[in-house]
Amino acid sequence: MKFSVVIHAAPYSAQAAHSALRFSREVLAQGHEIYRLFFFGDGVHNASRLAVVPQDEASLQADWEDLITEQKLDSVVCVTSALRRGILNATEAKRHELDAVSIRDSSEIAGLGQLIDAVTHSDRVVNFG
Amino acid sequence: MSCLHLINRSPVQGALPVCSTLVRGGDGVLFIEDGIYHCLQAELISNLPPDVELYCLREDLLARGVGSRVTETVESINYSRFVELCCEFDKVVSWF
Amino acid sequence: MPQKKILTFLSRSAPYGSDHAQLCLDMALASAVFEQQVNYVFLDDGIYQLLKDQNAESIGAKTLGNALETLELYGIETVLVDAVSLAQRGFSTADLLLPAQPVSRAELSAVLRDSDAVFNL
Repeated sequence: MKFSVVIHAAPYSAQAAHSALRFSREVLAQGHEIYRLFFFGDGVHNASRLAVVPQDEASLQADWEDLITEQKLDSVVCVTSALRRGILNATEAKRHELDAVSIRDSSEIAGLGQLIDAVTHSDRVVNFG
Repeated sequence: MSCLHLINRSPVQGALPVCSTLVRGGDGVLFIEDGIYHCLQAELISNLPPDVELYCLREDLLARGVGSRVTETVESINYSRFVELCCEFDKVVSWF
Repeated sequence: MPQKKILTFLSRSAPYGSDHAQLCLDMALASAVFEQQVNYVFLDDGIYQLLKDQNAESIGAKTLGNALETLELYGIETVLVDAVSLAQRGFSTADLLLPAQPVSRAELSAVLRDSDAVFNL
């Protein structure tokens, strides 16, 4: 089956982001496809490349990136949510004359159209928030 | 089309009061994260129709030290079964 | 787009205290732009979004009530309000800024059943 997973929660402040990661891994382990991961609202913080966690803790952001890269997943961060929360790629940083790129290379910034596209192309959409 | 309802908030914060009026026979309810606390007391889930299947996520029970306290009408499942349920039901509705 | 789907949005949060109400609206408007069939439902504290006389200037925010009027502009015709949530909070449809259609829980349950995907914020 084709799944899309929508992540509404920031890492650490809620368990939901971790649940979404565990769920996504299990979906793939069972041989299903993930059409898209879509990070929305506070969920965009999962794509931050500037987060630092203590050495004895797992980095949820790094774990997402590992999953996305290893499994070649399509990962999209909602542009409106991202810009408001300081999650920028090089294009957006340049456009807004800001001096840092804060999004990981594994995720793209795009509009809500990508969520609707995911809904229309997926057999199941599962939200975590 | 059947729904799997996901409840992830504790009973005082949660959406179960409204969710329980919208579930139908043949639907399922899966309690995850703090939602699992619903499953420790039968009366908290007694409003759900009898022909609704009830599940809770074992990993979240174990993390919270309540693995042995789940009321007998609720089936404790792992992530693998969670994904299977998402396929068995026609859609998943998350109540966060 | 492969096919038109029926998407239901349960807007369950009060305005201003969190951005859930705005995010739910944004998702629904995008769905309408991409020509999906949208049901928009005000449920639980979501009905507070519909009260007349909102003016969020006093808290430095945009007034959500004005934005809700875009539902119609975007061609979202099925705008429902849960009658139980409304009555529980002591309001009636006369208090609302939109002509949302009151529905029973049984009717809402049928809307969920007939939807391809449900978003709940």
